[in-house]
Amino acid sequence: MLNKKGIFILSIVLFVFSLTGIAIAQDYEIVHVYKIAGIPFGNVEESGVVQAGEELNVNAYQVAPTEADPAQQVRMIEDLIAKGVDAICVTPNDPSALEPVLKKAQSKGIVVVTNESVGQKGADWDIETVDPKLWGAHSFEKFAGFMDGEGEFALFVGGLGVQFHNDWADAALAVQKEKYPNMKLVTSRIPCGESIELAFTRTNELMKAYPNLKGITGIGSLGPIGAAEALKAKNMAGEIIVVGSVMPEQSAPYLKAGLIQAGSMSDPKKLGYSMVYVAKLLLDGEEIKDGMPVPGLGNAKVDFEEKTIRLHGVLDITAENAETLGF
Amino acid sequence: MKNIVKKYEFYLFIIIVTLVIFFAVFSDNFLNLENFMDILISSSFIGIMAAGMLVVLISGGIDLSVTAIATVAQYIMAITIIDYNGNLFSAFMVAGIIGILLGTFNAFLIYYLRAPALIITIATLNLFYGATIFVTKGKWIYNFPDWFNQSHNLFSFTSADESHFYSGISLPVVILVLVFILTYIILKYTVLGRKIFAMGGNFEAARRAGFNMLGLTIFVYCYIGFLSGIGSVGQVLILHSVQPNAIVGRELEVIAATVLGGASLAGGAGSVFGTALGVALLAIVWNGLVIMGVSSYWHNVIIGLIIIFSVSINAYNRKKTLRGY
Repeated sequence: MLNKKGIFILSIVLFVFSLTGIAIAQDYEIVHVYKIAGIPFGNVEESGVVQAGEELNVNAYQVAPTEADPAQQVRMIEDLIAKGVDAICVTPNDPSALEPVLKKAQSKGIVVVTNESVGQKGADWDIETVDPKLWGAHSFEKFAGFMDGEGEFALFVGGLGVQFHNDWADAALAVQKEKYPNMKLVTSRIPCGESIELAFTRTNELMKAYPNLKGITGIGSLGPIGAAEALKAKNMAGEIIVVGSVMPEQSAPYLKAGLIQAGSMSDPKKLGYSMVYVAKLLLDGEEIKDGMPVPGLGNAKVDFEEKTIRLHGVLDITAENAETLGF
Repeated sequence: MKNIVKKYEFYLFIIIVTLVIFFAVFSDNFLNLENFMDILISSSFIGIMAAGMLVVLISGGIDLSVTAIATVAQYIMAITIIDYNGNLFSAFMVAGIIGILLGTFNAFLIYYLRAPALIITIATLNLFYGATIFVTKGKWIYNFPDWFNQSHNLFSFTSADESHFYSGISLPVVILVLVFILTYIILKYTVLGRKIFAMGGNFEAARRAGFNMLGLTIFVYCYIGFLSGIGSVGQVLILHSVQPNAIVGRELEVIAATVLGGASLAGGAGSVFGTALGVALLAIVWNGLVIMGVSSYWHNVIIGLIIIFSVSINAYNRKKTLRGY
């Protein structure tokens, strides 16, 4: 039998409990460990992480090593485990090198979410906002459009050992084989997509080795920039079609000058947002369901065997929109 | 001693000539002026840094921080140009002075700590590069003023139909040549150069001979700092972007080219001509492989084999010469 006083005390107790409940929710510490500090893609991704933190009422932030070094990431994650954070989101520099430390984090009850690392051991879920196969096919269709479906072309990747880039390139070439028999790849994929200087040099060499070269496409956001610089130096804007993955702001002057015809990129802000969003779901104890909506990224395709959540976030970049995208 | 160095350069030269003939036979597009200029442009930055590395190696030191110095100098130069405008001369001045300052820092640490230059410059590599990334967040820079983005060619070769500026002697290439000439003069014709050789040959003997060892150390590390600063501006003039994470990591390429060119890691030996050949060998092999259409999967393998081959010929030759004495 409760009297008024009892009800009052109970409601205060409940109120305080509910406050602690909110306090706990706010105290979720969700940390994104990126590949390398300070590259623009990572910076915009960080803004998505922070935005999710504000909207979802969690303490979310990004850390990253000064070099794209797996050992440095391992050390950072060790520190985060020691600090006792609630969730760790990682974009691994080397999936296998991170496996032990991620398993250690899981054993301490920390939620682990990865990106760009399908089938990561030691992760609760992997999130992919860009499917390399869909993106590669999508990008090649654009490229083929500018090429009028015919002619010799070369393909850049960031590195020959980068799984994502190889899947992207495989998908692009599959589209070419199937739909554009009059297009011809002149040589095997060239690893220069992450360096303007290398892409510049390779483009000069390719133009000499293959005088009929009509286009260059690829993955790795500096490949098209380097190719465009080579064309600019030789006053050859538009004589070789350049279509590939680019950062919008950086490629804007090249798109406007007709040195690059079109580009695409995954949307880093949405990516950063989605990782924190999913980490928060998991911390709240909610179930991951196929087809569940993620704000701004459509409905998830969930692969329960590979523990992968696939969302769609490829952004087409043109001379018109390149300057408005914020990265 | 002098004979051995001469012989080594000779064999290196033969290897390069053989490669050039080989590439020319297997591809019609290799041996022409345009490709020659392209190779020069592409290797200008590494070449300029290699000239500095040569001087450091001869003095018995090493500078792994060369790429970090270039990164810092390039970044500060870019910010200065964008914020305060200025001109080409001021761009080179800013980068050169930053290079000299960081080089001085290296020199003082190396001289007063009496620690191996290797470990000191690994430390300063991390310090310079880490601080740059920390302060700048590694942001790329590409919004240069128009005058900076124009091509800086001394004159241009135009193609037959006159539609393309096929190539020209661009400023970075001119700087590369000037730097090699300057380094040659310093090493060959100045007292300073002879002192640097003596310092690398036997540090203690040079000190007892009354050389100003601090002064020499400062000169050597400032020289490479200055050159990497200048070279980094040249690189921006070609690429029109500053990508702070793109240069660090290439210091081994610089050292490889210099040592391949006959400079001794133990100090006291090396020549400008050899260094030029070392830079040229690596640049020509990369270029030739792409132009011949060799699959990119083989490039690194072949580069590795050619370096081993060149060094083996040198080792074999040196053994033979030594036996001859």
